Amino acid sequence: MPVEGPFILVNPERCLGCHTCELACAAAHTEAGTVIGAVLAGERLQPRNHVIQVDSVKISTQCRQCEDAPCVKVCPTGATYRTETYTAVDQRLCIACRLCMMVCPFGAIHMATATVAGRDKRAAFKCDLCVDRPEGPACVEACPTKALSLRYPREVIQQATQVTARQFLEALESQQQLASNP
Amino acid sequence: MTEETYSEKIMSRSIDPAALEMLARAEELGFETAWDRLEAMLPQCGFGELGICCRNCNMGPCRISPFEEEGPKVGVCGATADIIVARNLIRMIAGGAAAHSDHGRDIAHTLLLTAEGKGGGYEIKDEAKLKALAAEYGIETEGRSKEEIALDLARAVYAEFGKQEGPIQFTRRAPEKRVALWQKLGVDPRGIDREIVEIMHRTHIGVDNDPVNLILQGIRASISDGWGGSMIATELSDVLFGTPTPIRSRANLGVLKADEVNIVMHGHEPTLSEMIVAAAQDPEMIALAERYGAKGINVVGMCCTGNEVLMRHGIPIAGNFLQQELAVITGAVEAIIVDVQCIMPALGALSGCFHTKLISTSPKAKFPGATHIEFHEEHAYDIAKEIVRTAVENYRFRKPGQVHIPDEKTECMVGFSVEAIVAALGGTLDPLLEAIKSGAIRGIGAVVGCNNPKIQHDYGHVRLLEELIKNDVLIVTTGCNAIAAAKAGLMLPEAAEQAGEGLKGVCQALGIPPVLHMGSCVDISRILVACAAIANALGVDISDLPAAGAAPEWMSEKAVSIGTYVISSGVFTVLGTVPPVLGSPVVTELLTQGANDVIGAVFAVEPDPFKAAKLMIDHIEEKRAALGI
Ligand code: SF4
Ligand code: SF4
Ligand code: SF4
Repeated sequence: MPVEGPFILVNPERCLGCHTCELACAAAHTEAGTVIGAVLAGERLQPRNHVIQVDSVKISTQCRQCEDAPCVKVCPTGATYRTETYTAVDQRLCIACRLCMMVCPFGAIHMATATVAGRDKRAAFKCDLCVDRPEGPACVEACPTKALSLRYPREVIQQATQVTARQFLEALESQQQLASNP
Repeated sequence: MTEETYSEKIMSRSIDPAALEMLARAEELGFETAWDRLEAMLPQCGFGELGICCRNCNMGPCRISPFEEEGPKVGVCGATADIIVARNLIRMIAGGAAAHSDHGRDIAHTLLLTAEGKGGGYEIKDEAKLKALAAEYGIETEGRSKEEIALDLARAVYAEFGKQEGPIQFTRRAPEKRVALWQKLGVDPRGIDREIVEIMHRTHIGVDNDPVNLILQGIRASISDGWGGSMIATELSDVLFGTPTPIRSRANLGVLKADEVNIVMHGHEPTLSEMIVAAAQDPEMIALAERYGAKGINVVGMCCTGNEVLMRHGIPIAGNFLQQELAVITGAVEAIIVDVQCIMPALGALSGCFHTKLISTSPKAKFPGATHIEFHEEHAYDIAKEIVRTAVENYRFRKPGQVHIPDEKTECMVGFSVEAIVAALGGTLDPLLEAIKSGAIRGIGAVVGCNNPKIQHDYGHVRLLEELIKNDVLIVTTGCNAIAAAKAGLMLPEAAEQAGEGLKGVCQALGIPPVLHMGSCVDISRILVACAAIANALGVDISDLPAAGAAPEWMSEKAVSIGTYVISSGVFTVLGTVPPVLGSPVVTELLTQGANDVIGAVFAVEPDPFKAAKLMIDHIEEKRAALGI
């Protein structure tokens, strides 16, 4: 059975549009590990997620970690790849051709300057679920309103079915009550 | 519980054993402190940390993207990160200068009432200083009563706040070269209130949009604080309450007493604390305390109002900024009496968990959960007595099971006003100048500032002081740094043992500690006066002196104003926490490099006290070399 990878879920009702998750993402991908530390050390800050507004709703967006990922399919150099649980970019192989960016239906990939092996080059950036971070995704940890969570598909389904199944049972019960006390 | 059994989390919060003991106690009882609230606040907003958010108009809030190629680079009005950072920074200066200067105004008001015979219990304690200040202001002293002189002086000082065209008299205490430089740069302040108001005007949407021009106005307002409002607060407090002279006392939470009524005075202005000290000695109050089963009334200080009465009366000091909540958690405090500045609103809810009464006294500062007994100078003694009575009557509600007072209380020798230092030197600055020239003392370190839970409590202060005295740097200190030094035992003549050979010799010969307590935060003005006197004696500018400043654990807006007037006076200053300016390359460069060519001093940021000490010592050595000593 294939392993189901997790993804980041945003709750638009909680997101305030503060951009904290972007800064946390950028800081988590620096040597210094903090915004101030990175600026002091002259390190580039580069987020992998984006907070946007749709009509009046604010939400954070990032890679969905697609299982049949179009970005992986189109990459001519194999820079974009998929592991069992997530998709990622190997910036060493990336030639910044923008194909992945064009085919990503979520707009979750962008090009920017990266320092790879001491050299500045253009490369694709996308959410890597903070796989190298022992504490897990930096954005989830940073969000002050807890709008973000790391979810596993099965868990999400289970939760949804639990909720609807309970509603169904409650509906049945109230029907029986109605029948016995007309 | 002993130190060895404290959790790593507790140990990371302070180096003060009394604070650690109370932090462990707080955890055990489930009380939250500033350290817990900081933890809950993490991560703090990166835009705020970098200083690149603006709420100055309602087209905003705007925030500038710190990311290279993404996001907005200007606010809705077009303000860049440089403009926004500069505006925000000088608004902090305005806040700090306003706080110090309003404190100065209150003292001037008290002097005025006293001179008019309306001061409810105040008197003029230092007539010599009154006359010296009157002479500075060109006020006739011959054949006049001290009240007459004081009336003219108070009016003249009062006028400094509303002056339109300057100069502020005390700024002329700076070396001539410094004053000439201020005038050339257009930063010689015109009036104390005017400079603060002008900051608010310039930072309104669509006014001053040049980062350098904005910072220059920040400098002007800061000078009106250091050489204006703060200096007025110091000088007039000396006139009213006496100029401090060396005196011994004790510092840390162990000064609270298990069998007496404990009154903690917290805040800043000596007008209130002086009267509380007097009222607590009233036989009627002592008798009342005894009637309730207490052995007496124990008045102690906290933060700068504590420093004021510590310097003048040797009233013990319970701790610095981060210890205010810990004092309440001892369960032994009948009343914590507050006026203005650095008082955590958290005290209300916390004291509600104990029998402790939080008593607010200033019409300017009310707190949730506090009992408000408003203080008016006209009836100072009577009100102070009512406050003391409230505390005494609260003794019977103390819950013995809740009482937990740490043992730590360290001996200290304090009270080093400029006058006291000169007296200790035998009446002239010469022995000090000689010691500096000979190299026995390499230079002077002015170490000041708050506590900040972002830095292990007292670690930044104490380690920096230890490192500096080891390297023969004589320390002058005020505020929460001074309290940290007192608790750490660095304010005893015996602490000279920890100093380098040269400094040790000087301290032993004079019988003084290597770290000199000069007072509260407004008393940094005393440090300015000392620097000016030394510079004048050597015929140089302050920026030529082998001196360096530091604020290892700063947090308040007042500290931003202080830091700015200290570098504007020509003293290189190391900050232990990063000010919110890094979002602007222009402002960061100006403050850390460019300012050297303009005012002869810059800021550096260095949280590691050992590296900070190195920066200061290197700077001192550079200045020595330039002076050829
Ligand atoms: S940190 Fe949370 S609230 Fe803020 S923008 Fe991101 S998802 Fe929204
Ligand atoms: S999971 Fe990590 S990489 Fe992905 S958006 Fe969040 S912080 Fe960025
Ligand atoms: S003043 Fe300018 S930068 Fe500030 S909130 Fe208004 S539009 Fe935005």
